[in-house]
Amino acid sequence: MKQSYKKNKKRFVMLIGLLFLMISVMTVNDSALSSRLLPVLPDHLLVFPNDYGAHPDFRLEWWYITGWLETDDKKKFGFQVTFFRYATDLNFGNPSRFAAKDVVIAHLALSDPAVGRLMHREKTAREGFDLAYSKQGNTGVKLDDWFLVREENGTYQVDMRSEDFGLQLSLRPTQKPMLQGDQGFSRKGPKPEQASYYYSEPHLSTTGTVFKNHQSFSVDGVAWLDHEWSTAYLDSDADGWDWIGANLDDGSALMMFQIRGKKGDRIWAYAALREVSGEMRFFTANEIEFTPIRMWESPHTEAVYPVSMRIRTGEIEWQLIPLMDDQELDSRQSTGAVYWEGAVTLIKDNRSVGQGYLELTGYVRPLTL
Amino acid sequence: MSLNILELRNINKAYPQGRKVLDNLIFTLKAGEYVAIMGESGVGKSTLLNLIAGLDTPDSGEVLIDGVAISSLSDDAATQLRRERFGFIFQAFHVLPHLTLLQNVALPLLLNGQSLQHAEQMLDQVGLQGRGQDFPRQLSGGELQRVAIARALIHRPKLILADEPTGNLDPDTAQEILQLIRAEINANNASAIIVTHSHMAAATTDRVMNLRKDGLHPMSL
Amino acid sequence: MMLNRWLLVGEWRSHIGQALVTLLAIAIGVAMGFSIHLLNSAAFNEFSAASKDLSGQSDLLVRAKTALMDEALYPQLAVYDGVAVANPVLELDIAMPGKRQARGDYKLKVIGIDMFRAAQIAPDLLGVPEEGKAMDRLADDTIFLSPAAMSWLEVKQNDTLSFHVGIQSVSLRVAGGLVRARSGQSIAVMDIGAAQWRLQHLGKLSRVELKLKDGVNHAVFKDKLEQHLGTSYAVVELENQEARVANMSRAYRVNLNMLALVALFTGSFLVFSTQALSIIRRRQQFALLRVLGFTRRQLLWQVMIEGMMLGILGSIVGVVLGYAIAVSVIEFFGGSLGSSFFPGIKPDINFEIWTALIYFVVGLGVTLLGSIVPALEAARAKPALALKLGSEDAAMKKTSFPWFAIMGLCLAVIFTQLPVLNGLPVFGYLAIALLLIGSIALIPHVITWLFAATVTFRRHIRMGAVGFLSLARLENAPNHASIALGGILASFSLMVAMAIMVTSFRESVDQWLDRVLPADLYVRTAAVGDLGGFHLDTQQIISAFPAFSRVDFFRTQQVLFDVDRPEVTLFARPIDRIDPRNTLPIINDETHAVIALDSLPENVLPVWVSEAMVDLYGYQVGERVMLPIGASTHEFMVVAVWRDYGRQFGAIQIQLDDYRTITGDSTVNTVALWLQANVSMQQVIEQLRQLPFGKELEISRSSDLRAISLEIFDRSFAVTYLLELVAVIIGLFGVAASFSAQMLARAKEFGMLRHIGMTRHQILLMLATEGGLLTSLGIMFGFLLGWGISLVLIFIINPQSFHWTMQMYLPWGWLIMIAIVMLITATCTALLAGRRAVSKQVIQAVREDW
Repeated sequence: MKQSYKKNKKRFVMLIGLLFLMISVMTVNDSALSSRLLPVLPDHLLVFPNDYGAHPDFRLEWWYITGWLETDDKKKFGFQVTFFRYATDLNFGNPSRFAAKDVVIAHLALSDPAVGRLMHREKTAREGFDLAYSKQGNTGVKLDDWFLVREENGTYQVDMRSEDFGLQLSLRPTQKPMLQGDQGFSRKGPKPEQASYYYSEPHLSTTGTVFKNHQSFSVDGVAWLDHEWSTAYLDSDADGWDWIGANLDDGSALMMFQIRGKKGDRIWAYAALREVSGEMRFFTANEIEFTPIRMWESPHTEAVYPVSMRIRTGEIEWQLIPLMDDQELDSRQSTGAVYWEGAVTLIKDNRSVGQGYLELTGYVRPLTL
Repeated sequence: MSLNILELRNINKAYPQGRKVLDNLIFTLKAGEYVAIMGESGVGKSTLLNLIAGLDTPDSGEVLIDGVAISSLSDDAATQLRRERFGFIFQAFHVLPHLTLLQNVALPLLLNGQSLQHAEQMLDQVGLQGRGQDFPRQLSGGELQRVAIARALIHRPKLILADEPTGNLDPDTAQEILQLIRAEINANNASAIIVTHSHMAAATTDRVMNLRKDGLHPMSL
Repeated sequence: MMLNRWLLVGEWRSHIGQALVTLLAIAIGVAMGFSIHLLNSAAFNEFSAASKDLSGQSDLLVRAKTALMDEALYPQLAVYDGVAVANPVLELDIAMPGKRQARGDYKLKVIGIDMFRAAQIAPDLLGVPEEGKAMDRLADDTIFLSPAAMSWLEVKQNDTLSFHVGIQSVSLRVAGGLVRARSGQSIAVMDIGAAQWRLQHLGKLSRVELKLKDGVNHAVFKDKLEQHLGTSYAVVELENQEARVANMSRAYRVNLNMLALVALFTGSFLVFSTQALSIIRRRQQFALLRVLGFTRRQLLWQVMIEGMMLGILGSIVGVVLGYAIAVSVIEFFGGSLGSSFFPGIKPDINFEIWTALIYFVVGLGVTLLGSIVPALEAARAKPALALKLGSEDAAMKKTSFPWFAIMGLCLAVIFTQLPVLNGLPVFGYLAIALLLIGSIALIPHVITWLFAATVTFRRHIRMGAVGFLSLARLENAPNHASIALGGILASFSLMVAMAIMVTSFRESVDQWLDRVLPADLYVRTAAVGDLGGFHLDTQQIISAFPAFSRVDFFRTQQVLFDVDRPEVTLFARPIDRIDPRNTLPIINDETHAVIALDSLPENVLPVWVSEAMVDLYGYQVGERVMLPIGASTHEFMVVAVWRDYGRQFGAIQIQLDDYRTITGDSTVNTVALWLQANVSMQQVIEQLRQLPFGKELEISRSSDLRAISLEIFDRSFAVTYLLELVAVIIGLFGVAASFSAQMLARAKEFGMLRHIGMTRHQILLMLATEGGLLTSLGIMFGFLLGWGISLVLIFIINPQSFHWTMQMYLPWGWLIMIAIVMLITATCTALLAGRRAVSKQVIQAVREDW
């Protein structure tokens, strides 16, 4: 009796222990704006390679890599690797090397149709002692033995392994970074401060190894990297979002998202298609459409996700087919966040034209608490 | 001074439960007299002895010892009187086991604050010459009763009360002891009452009384 | 068997009082033992569980041998091969001014954690902030308190908690409670970065807890890590920590249990005396039974059953009573039994069925032990002989074995020479038990010898009937007498022994305090961790005061010598170079040599060690030892042993200069101040308070420190006194029981004496004289025996348990007083029992024949 109480309590602890970070990651109230942290402003030019690195003056930052991998014998995996940096906005005067100024959170997820559900792990640590950091000047984030680093030639190295699965990947850019919104100034809501700095690196040519149950598989594939940082982000009326980033077979890249409101309305929508030529096509809100085709109910959380959708940008329509249905990331026992983040195939005219990652949030409960 | 060593005047006594034991009892014992009291069990012989010894008080009537009403004395005064003028012989001897024979015999002298000289002589008299330093456990029943007799007479009491003194003894020894008591009473010029069931014992006395519900009556053997 | 039951019920019905007293005595003995065990084990388990909880599910922990370690080791450990999680912890005990807890413990344990690491090892320690204020857990101005700490400190969520660290004050916001804390456990949790900063321990950690990866061999890992870390760090397993906690209080716990056993022992003696007397009283009844056809075995069985029933009932009552006592003691006084071994916890008493069973069996066993000799005696008696007068005492003679007694005493003497067993003075306690048993068995013989020796002397004394009878009884019925005497002897000797021991201890502590507190004032900063508190500048300010004729600075630190043992205290202070005896209470006798400082070789640093260091670590004068001082170990030579009543786990002293040279640490924790002749203490204290950091100073007069030390001393002995009292009360029960049993057995004697002319008054006087004589003898022998036992306590058990020696002091006034009290009590008991001897029944008794 006592024992089980303890156990439950422990779970509860883990939950509330890290939950706040996820919540803070997603939403920031106006009141939480700090004098120390900088707001995201328009007319700011991103400067590379500096902006590949961390921006500790902003509250929240992430490097988010998703992609498709294939083994030699054509087995397919989807993967997601994320490093968050979160500024606590605390401990400014604290000279301790333990002072919690920035916290690093890392997520690792692997979709394997042979397993049938998402495998995922996450870690959290304060920056310090070289055990966890997010470097400025170039991409370099680390959390214990997990790291993501961008080499001089632009290639990213990722190594994230846990006891039962992991990844070690090398991701080589084949195109220039894709600046989202207005030269990297990406709005997320009607208010001008609801924005982030945001660039993507689509069509990363990926090779490496997938580790699973003490086996390793050589893989190659294509991946997509997002790097985004901001201080205020979501509108307080936001309920969740639908997002997709896709590498199209013809070399073009599509990124589109919509932010859903609590009343079932749409607060914001954005879509950009970069042609092989490098030309960016942006779409207005009424040119963007997400239409559910098939719903899937999670047996874990009872949330109902539109895992298959029809999306439209202007005149172009795609259909999204998931690699598998159960790509729900249920971390209620740790960070508390529940969302669907999965590999999808883009179908156009009954033909596969590309591969991407679909992210569906806010389907289990509103993200703003 | 009265010639009567003991006088019972209209003694009434009931048990606490209310049963009457002694009813208007009248009795007189002359100096030097040796009387046996017989009677059935439960008729009140022990109660009578206790009343005489001042260990119990009558509901009414008087017990006079040498003309002194012992029944009206305080416990301490009665004890004092008993200590000086009485000698006791019990059926179970009641010789103190942790005292030597000599010490046992000398007890009354000690209580009366008298010189202890006679004790040894007294032991000789009861036929226990040279055994003064022995302890009671080394003795036979008859010998123990001899010690008791010596203790009863050492301080030359006026009245000896003997309660079934031969009850625990075999007939031969009993005979010896009875002779001894008789002889010692005479030698010490004492009076005596012996309560007994034994006709043999009663036969050694001057007169025999029978205690019945209706009082003390002379009886012949 | 029905007859057994009839006899038993009949016996108890007619002597219900005696049966009850015996039952009660057994019950009290068992209850004391059981409750002390429950309390100690509950406190100990709770304390070790609480300290275990603090380290959560770690496999190993790494700490420095001195109190704190450098944080630079943490990242090394985090990436060390085989480590899954490294959890850095800074744990400090912080004095809460004006918040002294009832148990005299006024320090709050503050634990600095990195929540992200701790969540994987010790999730219970995470703070629970207000909803929506999750970041409070990483903030640098917040603290989370356990419920017990909140109620102790009288704060609630969002209040401000202020205290001093060193000479600075700190205010923190109480951000919430903890996920889970043990009831009564006063702890606080902060973010580790905040703790390092606010509590002035930048760069320091108390320990790093390690969780190893699956499949890593712990022993191999530990060896490898130990080699890697070198001598100034310790790699501690959870078992080591448990052993350390256990070692801390073991001697104390064992001593209390032993005392409880002594109470039980006096209880068994009581069983013996009442059974023996009841058998004497019933000799004729038994003889009759034998005549009627009872076999010896049946008779033996009959007496044993009586004892067993008493034992069973008494033990059951005792176990229940013991549990009730333990629960109420916890309820009203907390779990530490007056000692300071288990601070900051409030344990729950669990009814441990197996332990209860053990105590039940012990109680029953002790009762049977007390019954067996009388039972054998009853069975052995020849029925014919039993009917004879005076054979009572002859029969009793068999129950005492002079050779057995003398052998027991000899064995006791041999046992005092034996060393500790498993760290405990087992042989010392056995020696005490043998001394008690041997002496009691010897009493009847001693009485006989005594009377034989004084026979001529007594012949010349004239005495009345009362005196004569009383003496004669003692002289010629020594076995009877010794039954009552045994009770008096046992309780009085224990009282004497404890009184002498405690007085000697207290006197020694008192004198020692004079030696160790020579200055007028002692000034400390609010002690935190191994922080010095006074830096050089503050030291100079204090030295510059004109009011002081002398100023000494002390640096104290806790140093881990052995992972299984509690820390050793290191004192660095100026020690008189010409004669260290001026500074330290050095022991210099035939077993303790002293090396003169000027005879030391060049470059050899002197260290003075406490007696415990000799006992626990085998340090010898003249030996060169490596001491983990500062960042590495240094060689010192042991030059003398000093007496220390303050720290039973060991303490060492070195010259402050040597310490500073080795460590480079110039801070100190304590300043000892001697006042100029014409200066008033009050004035000086006020002047010190005027200093910029004056409010944060803890200023104590040496007289106050003395008083506090003695108060702590008395409090730790309070339970001892209580147990002793119980033993004495049980002993008196024994006296009362044996007196009243004797009254019954001697009814005919009193009846006869009343007949032949003893007044009531004289009989009472006789009884009082007998009782008084017995008690006087008991007191006399009891004093001798008690003195002997106290020698064992003082010179064997104390040094072996607590590793300190003391001088012997006899508390004459107190001894005489308890002797008189005992005499009066026992005599009154005899008189009280004697009321029956002058009642009407005894007159009837002369005619009561079987």
